[in-house]
Amino acid sequence: MGGRSRAAAQFLAGQGFDEVYNLKGGIAAWQGLRAFGPAEMGMTSLSGSETPQEVIVIAYGMEQGLADFYSRVSAMTKDRNVSDILGKLIGIEEKHKDKLFALYRSLEPATQERDLFEKGIVSDVMEGGFTGEEFLEKNKPLLDTVENLLSLAMMLEAQALDLYTRYAQNLEDVQGRSVLHDIAEEEKGHLATLGSLMEART
Amino acid sequence: MKWMQFLTPVASMDAEEAKAYMRSHKEGSYTLLDVRQPSEYEKGRIPGAKLIPLPELAGRLRELDSRKPVIAY
Repeated sequence: MGGRSRAAAQFLAGQGFDEVYNLKGGIAAWQGLRAFGPAEMGMTSLSGSETPQEVIVIAYGMEQGLADFYSRVSAMTKDRNVSDILGKLIGIEEKHKDKLFALYRSLEPATQERDLFEKGIVSDVMEGGFTGEEFLEKNKPLLDTVENLLSLAMMLEAQALDLYTRYAQNLEDVQGRSVLHDIAEEEKGHLATLGSLMEART
Repeated sequence: MKWMQFLTPVASMDAEEAKAYMRSHKEGSYTLLDVRQPSEYEKGRIPGAKLIPLPELAGRLRELDSRKPVIAY
């Protein structure tokens, strides 16, 4: 399925690769099998000229999505090992939200309480997005095996890594850059964790 | 609570287009990149593919030539 390779292609395009293609349907389609790729929902097109504040809000919404996705998947799987690990990942995504909020506040000292930030600023930006239910509904054919769930999770993590890597490079504020860089490193760690979970099962 | 994926536009090829591309381009003029896990690669791969699992991609960019077209699967 195309989720991981699409995320890889997008990441490479952000790292200066001139010509990148995603092979639709992946190896299954290559072998002549029917293939189902994940739904592309809530496209966020960034122009590259977003303010750091805008990027932080988008990242915050994405972290919310990752934590939401993990908690839904964790509730769906009977595999204790998988749900334990997802639980840990949720905890780290929550910490990322803390860091992002702190960073936002350092740039916008007049920011109100966290609750109001989420319900106001973040909600506004995520208006065109989707709920966790909608995401799972659209990707139903990919929820049948733990491997496919892990693959979806890796896709989302790689998209997050792409966002952080792109903006850590662009951000002029040194402290902000280092925050985004640290989060990017942790998302890399998550990808590795998900990869070894998958490896252990296949 | 709503959320979004972070997606930027990516060109794609379907299997037929990729096969035609590979027939009409010299091997080595492009990179066929397999980003799945090693166990999946072992089970079956497209001939000529280079394996870099997605979790390792960010750390192994130097192994890829950014001037050559990449087809990822």
